[in-house]
Amino acid sequence: MKWFNFILRLGLGGFFIYAGVEKIIDPAGFAKSIGNYKMLPLDGVNLLAITLPWIEVLGGGLLAIGVWRRGNALLIAGLLIVFIVAVGSAMHRGLNIECGCTGTVGGQKVGFTKIFENLGLLAVAGWLIWKEKE
Amino acid sequence: MWRTLQRALVVTIAGAVLGLAANAVSPRRIPYIAPPVVNVPSDFIPFDEAQALWRSGEAIFLDARAPADYAAGHIGNAFNVPAENFDAHYSPVAGMLTPASRIVTYCDGLECDLSHHLTDRLRQLGYTNVHILKNGWTVWRNAGLATSTGGQP
Repeated sequence: MKWFNFILRLGLGGFFIYAGVEKIIDPAGFAKSIGNYKMLPLDGVNLLAITLPWIEVLGGGLLAIGVWRRGNALLIAGLLIVFIVAVGSAMHRGLNIECGCTGTVGGQKVGFTKIFENLGLLAVAGWLIWKEKE
Repeated sequence: MWRTLQRALVVTIAGAVLGLAANAVSPRRIPYIAPPVVNVPSDFIPFDEAQALWRSGEAIFLDARAPADYAAGHIGNAFNVPAENFDAHYSPVAGMLTPASRIVTYCDGLECDLSHHLTDRLRQLGYTNVHILKNGWTVWRNAGLATSTGGQP
């Protein structure tokens, strides 16, 4: 179990590091992606584009190295829920936009694939919150 | 659980502070509050103007949608340069363009941003005279103007 959880933490944390770094590399592009969702007032778009990637990298990094495991798993679960809601809302409004999920390179469109991916990651995060030590 | 929640919040705040600090020193910094670059209204070309350009043959029309949508119907003489797969489709039309060429891009639907992506890419390449025909395919077809189908202009 210890090894199993270790691998899950590494995978989930690593994915968030990757996703965050891709956005940190291109903040203007990520801001544009957020803007495309048309969910935030324009004033909030850049602030989110500046802060969110670092929260992903920090939370993912700490989870991967095993610091505050449940806290960081909870943080990532929270982010995933927000992402699922955002993608679902964009689909519901018929927006044909880039997801912006892992930066703007090789962009994925919003769609059910993305939602299922995020649900899978959410299941991993939930497992870690449940099974990991504090 | 309370401690878990507290820690999640601490990491969130720490991450946000890190991001705000990093943006201050980053060479790729963006303004904290100013809205991101959006396409200003002047990026759009009015429909009657686009129509006049099309008739006179002064402008080249580029369809930013996917090849399947293009084949199902497009503005007559428009070339397909899907924003999603720009590099593969750009080279055939590049020979017809100069940096000052008048270019009209379009996709379909009021929310469609493919024409914006295509316009951005073209501007990055140095084209200075690129305009977007908003909701292009729909307004063109509804006006009963020349259209064609298939993979060729």
